[in-house]
Amino acid sequence: MKYLQAVVAEGLKDAAPDRHKIEFRTDVKGVTTAWCVLDEKDDLLAVARFLAEGSARLSTITAYSTEKAKRTGNFEIAYHFDLDGDTLTVSVHVPPDGEVDSITSLFDNADWPEREMAELYGIKLRGHPHPERLFIDESLGDAVFDQYIPYSTMVNAATTKGLWEKVIAKGKGKGEGTP
Amino acid sequence: MSTYKIPVGPLHVALEEPMYFKVEVEGETVTGLDIQAGHVHRGIEYLVAKRNIHQNIVLTERICSLCSNSHPFSYCMALERIGGIIVPERVEYLRVVADEIKRIASHLFNVAITAHLVGFDTLFMQVMETREIMQDTKETIFGNRMDLGANRIGGVRYDLDGEGKAYLAAQLARMKAPLDEFRDLYETNGSFLRRTKGVGVLPRADAIRLGLVGPVARASGVDYDVRRKAPYVVYDRLDFDVQTLADGDVWSRTMIRLREVKESVRIIEQCLRDIPEGPISIDAIPEIPAGEAIAKSEAPRGELIYYLRTDGSDKPARLKWRVPSYNNWKGLQVMMAGCKVADIALIVGSIDPCISCTER
Repeated sequence: MKYLQAVVAEGLKDAAPDRHKIEFRTDVKGVTTAWCVLDEKDDLLAVARFLAEGSARLSTITAYSTEKAKRTGNFEIAYHFDLDGDTLTVSVHVPPDGEVDSITSLFDNADWPEREMAELYGIKLRGHPHPERLFIDESLGDAVFDQYIPYSTMVNAATTKGLWEKVIAKGKGKGEGTP
Repeated sequence: MSTYKIPVGPLHVALEEPMYFKVEVEGETVTGLDIQAGHVHRGIEYLVAKRNIHQNIVLTERICSLCSNSHPFSYCMALERIGGIIVPERVEYLRVVADEIKRIASHLFNVAITAHLVGFDTLFMQVMETREIMQDTKETIFGNRMDLGANRIGGVRYDLDGEGKAYLAAQLARMKAPLDEFRDLYETNGSFLRRTKGVGVLPRADAIRLGLVGPVARASGVDYDVRRKAPYVVYDRLDFDVQTLADGDVWSRTMIRLREVKESVRIIEQCLRDIPEGPISIDAIPEIPAGEAIAKSEAPRGELIYYLRTDGSDKPARLKWRVPSYNNWKGLQVMMAGCKVADIALIVGSIDPCISCTER
């Protein structure tokens, strides 16, 4: 708890002075969760930088569009960091056509969660080294969480028939005959 | 020497779940690895937003088979945090018992598979036979061999009376002699050591850089266990040692799991000794207000984190979780660099990967 508060309070002073709200909650076992909301999404990299220097570990990233967020058209992205057992959640708001900085340069393991939020919500990343699809097939559009997609289409290996039709179509296109 | 790309998977790489590896080789040596995921993406994170908070206990238990209990357990903890629900003490002990039984069965499964992957199938059969003691136990106490259905909001759905406690204690006692035998075998058997020592090495610095968790990280000397670092239920009152080893190879990862099985046996025995009398659930579930919470637990494969956001309705506004395997895949790129083609399946198996968990 003390470690978390010291690191976070000190870091935020430089990274996002007067542009954040923070709240600490400690449970009966003495485990603390801290909740920080940044007013400016572009402060994210500076905040992530002091956390990386303070030996935080990125646990995961949650992107979401709540009912309220849907009305305003914003996405909320919550970055969950582990600091020796305590958890700090840093949230930013991103407008629908806005971009958010990739933190992969500071946290190697941000790679997969960032690609996942890009394919599920259509969030655009700035500075991701290889922003390809992670789980969702290329043939599906962006932001699948906002669409209705049948299960068989959603999974890559849809059905045997569908897979072979793709293979045959590809083979014909190359003039190699049918397999 | 020219390099080739060989496809490994998506089926039957160490286990019956699909993951596709594009492996770059020079002769027999691996020089690069590209992982392609997405074969079992089921969109469960979307589905949980369409179901109410009770239905999601059932759904989250079906994310994974080997760590099935960790999901509803952590999800309930997140809900209880938002609802300000204090669970009875007896519930906290019963939750530990259920989770540790699952850990024993999960770890022994991987320890057995590792023996199979090095071609030591008699050992595989023996370990699976011992694991069967825990499978029987689950079936007897919970009525199921995989999904326990043990958790509910503010309580559990099973109880241990005097007879149940005696049965569980006897089952644990039956495991001790075989577990010691396995420890000796895995520590000294020449052919096992030759295939696993110094193979698939993950240095500590890489484990930290890539944010790896669980037995994979602990086998590389990262002293992190959620049960110790961020205690939940009654883990702060139980006596157990967090296992770490320094070498970060396939052998170390196997030994960490084998040692943790013994710790889990110790933990359950303490629970049976200390569990107080009392209710197994709160009387009535209060309305869950709008709020957000984090709940973490040490699943068999490492840190499992749940993030729940509610808006006062009976459906979660957002429910997100990250399973330990999700982080651990990246470790393979370090472990496989310079390894032999013949060791690929063994190294993949050594991170005890769970694909249905990873892709959800």
